[in-house]
This record gives sequence, structure tokens and C-alpha cells, in this order.
Amino acid sequence: MNWLLRLYPAQWQERYGEEFGAVLASQRTSPGLVLDVLAGAIDAHLYPQIPHADVRQEQVQGSEIGQQVLIQQSPIEQSQSALIEGKDTMTFQLLQRCAAGGPKLSREDRRAAQRTMIWSALAMAALYMGLTKIYRDAPAVQALFYSSFPFLVLVREQTAYLRRRTRATQALLLVAGFSGMYLFMLGAFLLARTL
Amino acid sequence: MRKTNNDAELDDFGRFSEPALLILVSLAGGPRHGYSMTEDIEAIARVRLGPGTLYGALARLEARRLIEPLKSEDRRNPYKLTALGEHALRARLDSMMAVARTGQRRLASA
Repeated sequence: MNWLLRLYPAQWQERYGEEFGAVLASQRTSPGLVLDVLAGAIDAHLYPQIPHADVRQEQVQGSEIGQQVLIQQSPIEQSQSALIEGKDTMTFQLLQRCAAGGPKLSREDRRAAQRTMIWSALAMAALYMGLTKIYRDAPAVQALFYSSFPFLVLVREQTAYLRRRTRATQALLLVAGFSGMYLFMLGAFLLARTL
Repeated sequence: MRKTNNDAELDDFGRFSEPALLILVSLAGGPRHGYSMTEDIEAIARVRLGPGTLYGALARLEARRLIEPLKSEDRRNPYKLTALGEHALRARLDSMMAVARTGQRRLASA
């Protein structure tokens, strides 16, 4: 059964692998157990809980021996620190959850997403104008026009919600998402022409 | 459904919300390792958590500093509740008790 552990991300295996293996070995093998481990592996890939290296590092004073220690504080951890210190974080948390940008997005995340979306919109508009001049209303160009709006939404979601993922993951999802939408639109246009 | 008070800590856990609460309750009795938690949770809630669910919830709790691992020489790493975890657990239990009391009172007067 320990082979199931290989389905988890390497970083996760390094952190929890040994103890997870001990718990796994203590349980009776069943389809339910295999499904539980598979679902856990998918979750570990989609929502890695181990902090990434790009989390902002802050220097704080060591508590007892007065040494300078390095700790990593994400926005969630900062709000938690404020919570335990008795400061009011309710308004901050509500604002984060109800903001138009979606849950748990910092102001920097939202601005970065907006900047990316604006530049992408300009690039798409320039590309569309250039292609229209050359190919006029060819289905491939029309498909590009109609897929540009969902593409921009996708760009915004990628840059905002997947910001902490690797650039390779973001690029892969973006290219795959856009290709899928474009091919769908192109197929729809070609089909419409035959009707 | 969103909580507007301090017990919102566990709301972001999705399907791991209930296992996370059970883990916090288990650790409230003292440090435990994964297998011991599974046994304890089965005894108190009649639910046996699979390792995928258990470690999905444990990883979330640890990432949010609600629990922390203790050093151990064998491969069964024990965990203990942090001050933040205790705070979140108290808030959640208070909230559940308030709901339970209201429900009982309304049922009694129905």
C-alpha cells in the first residue's frame, strides 16, 4: 500500500511521508482506503499546504534569547497573529472575503491581476486588428475575437488565484485554457459556415 | 455560510473542516501522533478518518499554526495544540454550543 504515497508531491512526501506511511500501514486495506488516499493526493497537488519560498520574509526579534530569527509571515498568518493578540481583524477578513477580487486576495494580488489583464487586452486588440487587416473575417480571426473575452477572464483568474504556483504551472494552464476556448470557438464558426 | 466571529478559522478548510475540528478536539487532551488521533477520534465521534483525510486536515492545521509537531525519535510524529489552535477550538465549540442551546430551547417550546 505504501506505493500510494508516491502519488503525493515530493515536498509533501518529505514532510509527512514517514508518519503517513505508519498510519497507512496500521489500516486495513479496502477500496474506501485507496479512494481516501487518492483524494488526499489530488488535494495535496491542488492545494499544497507547505509554505512556498516566495512568501515574504520578515526579520523579527527572537523571543527569549534576544537573537534575530527569520520567520515567514503570509497575510493569513499576519491576520492570525492579530487575532491572538486581541486586535480586531473581523473587518479586514470580511473585506477580503467580500471584495470584488474574490476571497483572500491582497491588494497587491488584485493590482497585479488588473495590470496583467489590461496589458493582455491591449495585446489581444493589437493582434486582432493586425490579423483582420491581413485575413479579414476569416473564421480563425473571428474565433480569436470571440475567445478573447473569456481569455482575459482566464488571465485574471490565473494571475490572481494561481499566483503562488510556479510560472510553468500558470503558463501551462493559461495556454491549455486559451487553446481549448479558441478551438471551441473555431469549431463553432466552421460549423456555422457549413449550415 | 460565513462566520462573522473568531471561530471562522476552520471555515476555509472545505471538506476538511469537520476532520480538522475532530483533530483539534483530540489534541485538546494532549499531544498525539496520527494513529493515536485516528483511534481517539473513532472513540469520541465514531468516525474513522482515512490517512488521506487525516493528513489533509493536519497539513492545513499546521500551515495555519493551529497545531505544531513535536520532536520524536520514531517515525510517528506527535502533534500538539498551539495557543492559536486552542483559541480557535474554544471559539468553534462556543459557537456550536450556542446553536445547540437555541435548538434545544426551541424544540422544548415547540
